[in-house]
Amino acid sequence: MDNFLNLNNLESYFFIIIKIFFIASSFIYLVFALIVVKQVTSMSKNVTDKFNLVLIAFSFIHLGFSVLLILTMFGL
Amino acid sequence: MPRSKDLDTVAPDDLSVVAPAKSDEIVVSTPPKETPPKEIPKSPPKEPVKKKSPIIEEKTDASKKEDFNQKVYDILGHTKSPFSSFLVRPKVLTFAERDEDEEIYLAVRPHWINNLSWIVIAIIMFFVPLFFHYFTFLNFFPAQYQFAAVLFWYLITFIYAFEKFLSWYFNLFLVTNERVVDIDFNNLLNKHFAEADISMIQDVSSSVKGILGTFFNYGDVLIQTASEINQINFEKVANPEKIIKLLKELRDLEEEKNNGGNNNG
Repeated sequence: MDNFLNLNNLESYFFIIIKIFFIASSFIYLVFALIVVKQVTSMSKNVTDKFNLVLIAFSFIHLGFSVLLILTMFGL
Repeated sequence: MPRSKDLDTVAPDDLSVVAPAKSDEIVVSTPPKETPPKEIPKSPPKEPVKKKSPIIEEKTDASKKEDFNQKVYDILGHTKSPFSSFLVRPKVLTFAERDEDEEIYLAVRPHWINNLSWIVIAIIMFFVPLFFHYFTFLNFFPAQYQFAAVLFWYLITFIYAFEKFLSWYFNLFLVTNERVVDIDFNNLLNKHFAEADISMIQDVSSSVKGILGTFFNYGDVLIQTASEINQINFEKVANPEKIIKLLKELRDLEEEKNNGGNNNG
């Protein structure tokens, strides 16, 4: 009981909760990034213009960063 | 069938019955003696009737098309930037439902000034992490957490701006030689496609509202149609009066075509 109420332990619990929250949100964000890639590709098929490739590239870069976010969260 | 006695119908060298003198006698008319042929005044040689070749017809069609294209340019002017919200006869832009011979005369997006609000918000969001050190409670977190939070923040900032840009960029109103088309993508997940034939257009009206609308000359163009989708609304588009003028020209052209078709038929 004393250990549980120990301030250091409380702090570590707090950070564990924060970490879980960060990892969960980054996973949700990854799903969102995948949807964005899918959607931009679908939009580009529907409406073709000069800059569609650039937009698709941006969506993939964004996906890459969201994967990097997950890795960063696991490294916490 | 008995032959007609009408002299006009009897050829000069025909052996024909003129009139029976007696019931038994048959008078046979002989061909007239040869007389020198009268000189018939020579009429000027007729020019051969020129048949319209398909190539010439195509040429006239092409020239008509060119004339109309020039008219389109006269009404709408020229645009060069592909990011423009008012694209006249775009060369690259196309859409999935387009027919092979369909020509896009105008592609419009909502006026760029409508993007100003999200651009300002995105710029503010971009600079927010610079002020994180003013919030002392954030110093409680280790550097790794702070880095992760900043990365997360910038990704959210990016996707906010990107989503807004995509919604603007792919929100298109098109006027082609056959129809008007409205393509909307709402919140990245919903696609809305509406179209109406030029011949189905009944009324076109526009409204320019507010200070910005008046200053930057943008507004809504409402197209009432006789098709299933009874109205198509081009929202916050630049130069609504030019769009109305173009639609009028297209309707006139369509009527002309129909009248021509009816006359020929």
